[in-house]
Amino acid sequence: MGRKILLVEDDSDTAAYLARGLAEQGHVVDQAADGRDGLFLASEGSFDLIILDRMLPGLDGLSVLRALRAAGVGTPVLILSALGTVDDRIEGLEGGSDDYLVKPFAFSELNARANALFRRADGAASAAVETRLTVGDLEVDLLGRTVRRAGRAIELKPREYRLLEYFARNAGRVVTRTMLLEHVWNYHFDPGTNVVDVHVSRLRRKLEEGFERPILHTVRGAGYRLAAD
Amino acid sequence: MGSRVPTTMRIAALAAFLALLSNLAVLGFIHLRTHDDAFDVLRQRATEEARALDDVYRSGGRTALDDAIRGTLDAGDSQIMIAIVDTEGHPVAGNIAGPLPPVARKATDFAIAQLRQADRPRVPVEAGIVVRPLGAHYILVSARSFGERLAFQRLLEHSLLLALFMSLLFGAICGLVTARYVGRRVRAIADVVDEVGEGDLARRAPIGGSGDAFDALSARINRMLDRIGLLMGELRLLTDSLAHDLRSPVGRLRARVERALMLTDEVQRDAALGGVLAEADGLTRILTTVLEIGRTEAMASRRQFAWVDPTELVCELAEMYEPLAEEKGVTIELDAKAPLFPLMAHRQLLAQALSNMLDNALTYAGSGGRMTLFARQDEEALRLGVGDRGPGIAEADRAEARRRFGRLDSSRSTPGAGLGLALVDAVAHLHDGWLDLADNEPGLCAVIVLPRKAKGRGGTA
Repeated sequence: MGRKILLVEDDSDTAAYLARGLAEQGHVVDQAADGRDGLFLASEGSFDLIILDRMLPGLDGLSVLRALRAAGVGTPVLILSALGTVDDRIEGLEGGSDDYLVKPFAFSELNARANALFRRADGAASAAVETRLTVGDLEVDLLGRTVRRAGRAIELKPREYRLLEYFARNAGRVVTRTMLLEHVWNYHFDPGTNVVDVHVSRLRRKLEEGFERPILHTVRGAGYRLAAD
Repeated sequence: MGSRVPTTMRIAALAAFLALLSNLAVLGFIHLRTHDDAFDVLRQRATEEARALDDVYRSGGRTALDDAIRGTLDAGDSQIMIAIVDTEGHPVAGNIAGPLPPVARKATDFAIAQLRQADRPRVPVEAGIVVRPLGAHYILVSARSFGERLAFQRLLEHSLLLALFMSLLFGAICGLVTARYVGRRVRAIADVVDEVGEGDLARRAPIGGSGDAFDALSARINRMLDRIGLLMGELRLLTDSLAHDLRSPVGRLRARVERALMLTDEVQRDAALGGVLAEADGLTRILTTVLEIGRTEAMASRRQFAWVDPTELVCELAEMYEPLAEEKGVTIELDAKAPLFPLMAHRQLLAQALSNMLDNALTYAGSGGRMTLFARQDEEALRLGVGDRGPGIAEADRAEARRRFGRLDSSRSTPGAGLGLALVDAVAHLHDGWLDLADNEPGLCAVIVLPRKAKGRGGTA
């Protein structure tokens, strides 16, 4: 399912690398090399996602973002930036962006975050309040906060439940460690150790022990994926 | 720069004006006390005497006039001077010695002239003088010499006028000198600032030793320059050590890429490339942390401060690290029972600092089997910290431990860039607190001490 993506990035190498990667994922990519062109194209409002570099010639990324939001354009925006301190990230998020990714980054990380944004936009568009998430034989009851697999109840601690809920909302898609840190723990720093991995493997043990088929997969070099296959 | 000359001129003008004003006051006072109507009286009498003699001449002719002159002179008024003068200025009668100055021959109205008396021709006296024509060839000069008092008064008035002029002159000179002096001292300081601005950081503003305002200004500027120099030095040291410390991870990265290039087996090459990625990520992490420390130390993060519940924070971190600790065979004991006051803090950075401390404890003291994460509070401070049962840090090494890139293990065999405690230290400073490294007997107890009343906020010298 191809999406229309606007890529605003002045570094031609990065832009080419991203455009190729996104095209391989089946998306249509429009490009702009400076803030003014970016704002002009983005104002059309016909994109599913805007990937916006923060340091741009002409008009900087945060200004473009503010101008867009002021003009009522609600297209999801993912900011790319070499400014990576905690405050920079918070500033970017508070400036109206939907996600923030620090350079240098892995393409898999960008792809995972872009997919999460698409899904969120779709969810908002369908407007239906989800009460139950199903992934294969796994069922997550969002109201009762209970989890069953193949009809058998699985006991989870609150944090494990939140982890699983985030996985389930992004079922079938890659979720990275930093995405988990940001959304499950609300921390915008990198602890450097495998804190998240240990939490995930605990969750996995609970989900998979006594069942034949694995359901929480490790995607090497990228993150994790909750899927039935 | 452009306003410097006008300022000098303004100071000079002001000094001259003030000198003039003070002199004017003194002179005015003297004038007021000494001046009286003696001069007006003299003028009146001289005019009257001239008219009287003129009347005599008109009614009785030259003979009657000569008689009248003689009579008047004989009366004994020493101030009266009368002469009949020919057109060349030579007296033919009377008690005035000739020749008369030209002004004395033209004054039909009242004038003042230097005259000499016939019996004392060496001593000129000032006199009020009135002249009347006597036919075509002679004139009548009727004068009244100034008395001693009037002469003194005239002298005083002339002196006062001179003094006024001098005061104006000296005032202007004094002002110019002052302005030049001030300008020179300001310029000396400005020159130093310029030179420092151009890159010569060793220059310092001159201090005369008199302890005046200029010296105080110089001293302050010098203190600022010292601080700038220190910061530049630190920055250079940091950049140098950053370059040095990035050398080894970059070297490792390079080695891995080379090894990957030589591999022909695809599975092995993939594994090697995975290692390359991990190495690159580690490098990025080091850079991010260094930037984070710099940013935190610059106190730029205070905008993000919000109320944080310390109990909630340590509980969250304990929960976050519990599985990892369990995997390493360590139990984390949580000590945050008492209800604690909320704290105005940067939640992200505080959490990161605690996470670094937990990480350190797990890395260096993981074998200890037990560690404590605590949040305690007394009257003075809130203490957030981690105590472990590992080998601890010897007292002599503690300063090194909190330094950027400070590594206690000189062989650098354990992973890590030595930035962990440096960031904790910076975060503690951001919150007006400090990092305390103490002996946990055995083990290390690393504590972020946050004073309840931040006395130093904004006021540290």
